[in-house]
Amino acid sequence: MRAPLTERLVAAVLRLAPRPFRDRFAGELLATHRARAAERGGVAFALREVAGAVAAVLRLRVGGRSGFQSDGSRSTTRAEGQLAGMLRDLGLAGRGLRRAPGFAVAAVLVTGLGIGASTAIFSALNAFLFRPLPMADSDRLVLVYETNPEFDWTHETAAPANALDWADQVEAFSAVALYSSFTDELTWLREGEPQLLTVVLVSGNFFDVLGVPPAAGRVFRPEESWADGAAENRVVISHAMWQRYFAGDPAVAGRTLELASGVRAEVVGVAPEGFSFPSDGADLWAPWGWDPAAREAVWFRRAHFVRPVARLTPGVSMTAADAQLQTVVGRLQTAYPETNRVMGAGLMPLRDFLVMDVRTSLEVLAGAVLLLMVLAAVNVATLVLLRSGDRTREVALRHALGAGRWRVVRHLAAEGLVLGGVAAALGLAAGVAGVTAVGRLTRLGIDGATAPALDVRVVAFATGLGLLCAILFTLIPAARLWRVPARAALSAAGARGASRGRQGTRALRALVTAEVALGLLLVAGAVLMVRTFQELRQVDAGFRAEGVLAVQLTVPTSRYPERAHVLAFQRDLLAALEGRAGIERAGMVQQLPLGGPGWSSQFQARGWPPERVGLDIVHRRADRGYFEALDIPLVRGRLFEASDGSDTEQVVLVNERFAAMHFPGEDPIGQYIAYDREATEASTWRRIIGIVGDHHQTSVREPPRAEVFEHPEQSEWSRTNWYVVRGAGAAAAHTANVRAVLSQLDPLVPLEQVRTLREVRRAAMATDELVLVVLTVFGFLALVLATVGVYGVTAQAARRRTREIGIRMAVGADGGQVLRLVLLQGAGTVVAGILLGLAAALLLTRAMSGLLYGVTPTDPATLAVVAAVLAGAALVAMLVPALRAARVDPGGLLRAE
Amino acid sequence: MAVTPLTYHILMALADADRHGYGIIKEIGLRLGQDEEPSTGALYVALQRMDGEGLITDTDPPAGEAGEADPRRRYYRLTPAGREAARAESSRLAALLAAARAKDLISATGER
Repeated sequence: MRAPLTERLVAAVLRLAPRPFRDRFAGELLATHRARAAERGGVAFALREVAGAVAAVLRLRVGGRSGFQSDGSRSTTRAEGQLAGMLRDLGLAGRGLRRAPGFAVAAVLVTGLGIGASTAIFSALNAFLFRPLPMADSDRLVLVYETNPEFDWTHETAAPANALDWADQVEAFSAVALYSSFTDELTWLREGEPQLLTVVLVSGNFFDVLGVPPAAGRVFRPEESWADGAAENRVVISHAMWQRYFAGDPAVAGRTLELASGVRAEVVGVAPEGFSFPSDGADLWAPWGWDPAAREAVWFRRAHFVRPVARLTPGVSMTAADAQLQTVVGRLQTAYPETNRVMGAGLMPLRDFLVMDVRTSLEVLAGAVLLLMVLAAVNVATLVLLRSGDRTREVALRHALGAGRWRVVRHLAAEGLVLGGVAAALGLAAGVAGVTAVGRLTRLGIDGATAPALDVRVVAFATGLGLLCAILFTLIPAARLWRVPARAALSAAGARGASRGRQGTRALRALVTAEVALGLLLVAGAVLMVRTFQELRQVDAGFRAEGVLAVQLTVPTSRYPERAHVLAFQRDLLAALEGRAGIERAGMVQQLPLGGPGWSSQFQARGWPPERVGLDIVHRRADRGYFEALDIPLVRGRLFEASDGSDTEQVVLVNERFAAMHFPGEDPIGQYIAYDREATEASTWRRIIGIVGDHHQTSVREPPRAEVFEHPEQSEWSRTNWYVVRGAGAAAAHTANVRAVLSQLDPLVPLEQVRTLREVRRAAMATDELVLVVLTVFGFLALVLATVGVYGVTAQAARRRTREIGIRMAVGADGGQVLRLVLLQGAGTVVAGILLGLAAALLLTRAMSGLLYGVTPTDPATLAVVAAVLAGAALVAMLVPALRAARVDPGGLLRAE
Repeated sequence: MAVTPLTYHILMALADADRHGYGIIKEIGLRLGQDEEPSTGALYVALQRMDGEGLITDTDPPAGEAGEADPRRRYYRLTPAGREAARAESSRLAALLAAARAKDLISATGER
């Protein structure tokens, strides 16, 4: 069980105490703290304990107050005296704030909220951008990708033959490791029970190049990239798997895993803790074990499926490495025109590649949190100014009693430090809680490499923000109170506040304008994201999700060695599924919609001139049941029939996009196509028999691409496929049906993945959802902060004018007129804030355009709604004090005078 | 020689029994009320200092409390010097109170 947050904070603070104190007292101190916490609890107690621990460490570290007062027999040095003075100031400030609890609580809450939100976002940013990758010298690691302008490839996986040539020929690379761009699943028969494991295929030098030492046993050797005729596969297991299944046995190397495929895998070593690159779920790594003959085979240069990570030779820059890489790429284009004619390559720091997809989201979130922090600071500045207005008298009294200006500033600084410190502690706690909550919603950090954690950077960040706020808390009132003359403020007029300068009022108005503007900006960001999400949800992805369940499974080699066995198993499974009560339709597909594009290629149609090529088409294997289960409409022609099979003519379906893009004005049905850039006599021709509706392949945002659907029995085949079933009732309820069917057919085949098509649809928008949630929370906080700011200033202005209002009412003004008076006074400020916010929104929301869908960053309707929301909130904030003012009893007021 | 209020309260808490840190805090709480109890951090800083000054020393748990206690807990006891310091501070305070009474600030029983 984890210790409560307060105890963890106290323990963390204690780690900074001097060694002798820690060794002797830390354990006991925590035990005592725990006993007290169990008895008392409560936020106030928690805050005091944390603050007490901080003060204790300060005292121990900087010497601080001795046990004796400075006038005692013990001599104190000057520095000790000053420190003692500082600590006394802090104590005084704490007590002073306790006397103004409303102010203290509001200031700490607002700042704490700002710091908390910033800390949460920072810990996420930290995980993506700053936390070290679990690899040696990771800033020397670069990812190399392939490009192909004809296919629109920008950061594509590489063909292994190309990557191996780079490794040999680019001198700037001291070595190149390869890993598979996707994970595989395999079934381990653990004491006879099937257990699904996730495996990442890698090159033999993978661990060496990344600089990852084994926790036990050994890592792979470079030559293990290639099959050496060994009877057993070799695997390195993850630290988690080592702990879970082998209880951390140091002699695990040499144990074997019986796989359901009939293969035995020998465990050669264990990866270190915290390393599961490139996937969080990686249970084990295995070397590819390619046939050495593949090195010269065409497919080895045509199939793109490896991610190369190169280690730069010491002293060589990225630019120099890239120049060398381009030379080699040019050489390969000439040497292998068939596969490499238009193939380019590029490189980027590994970390940049790993965060590429989320960079815009991170930047927008960072920007939003910056705005929120500024808004919180402005809000606190408003509070401090309001309070310093009320404190003129106190300060004047101090002056009158002989305190110098610096003494007053010192007092203010101590107060600022106390507020900033408590706010930082609160913010740190809220931030950690926040990032944990968000982490549950979606994965944060680099897959398999980093995760958010309360590290030194996060604590330093929160502390830094706290200090910054402390400075704000000090400087604003210091500037304001610097010139308070002792006599004037003590006079009766001063006490009532009539002599307060216009300067303070102007500053307050400027702050409120800024608050409204910032609030508008953040609310605008939130509303734009809400609109985007609505639009995305309304996108017709081209398939029906209701009532459809998809399961993935692999037909094992051991009992189904040949292709014919696999096809027979698939036919039996589909027939059994459809025969089951409750299931209306069942089908099979290689890859689910929104799950990625499958493989891409080019084609020529029979009779086309050699220069006409259909570029950038994607492929998917699917049977008739797939289209029917997902309600993907047949536009023209026919679907696959029972008469189509392994031995009959090869037929394919295409989607509407394919027809429009590659056969504009022609009828694709009846055309023959071959997946070759230049078709020859040897080409395999497939006849197009039907056109089906488009569905999104990769994401909801990306429009459907031109796609060809192949008959599962007529194309390359795979043991791993998705099976979809549609029936009455909830999709998830069909899981039991599928399991029952499978256990009758072959109980040793496990379901690898089970997802409803609704989940598939939702998962495709996970990043959008995260940004939406964060921006909505920020927008809401911003609205609250802006409203509070407007309220505070209006209320104070109304209070100051109470006397004037009383007189006005005594001479005949009615409540309505008073109401108008108070509202009009604030209206200018609010309108100015809204206009300023709109101007800023027009400039700044552009940064979001990469995240938006179906709505422009400067969408007038959105901005109008946001302006109206801000105006409405401000009106409510002003109405409360205005109504109070209108109810002033003039008689009572004047009698009190 | 004058001691800080916290030092004095710790000396007082240990005057009639050996106590562990938590016990000292509870004893102080009895006299001052929960809201005026020192933070745990402040207590141990004071304990370390007082130990260094020879006012207190740590000791084994008293018989009967040994078994149930958290093994991390230690008990503290007044040294003769500590007892002397507590006496001296008490007399100093008593003298101050006498002066306050003489000036009619409080009654003999401490009432205002």
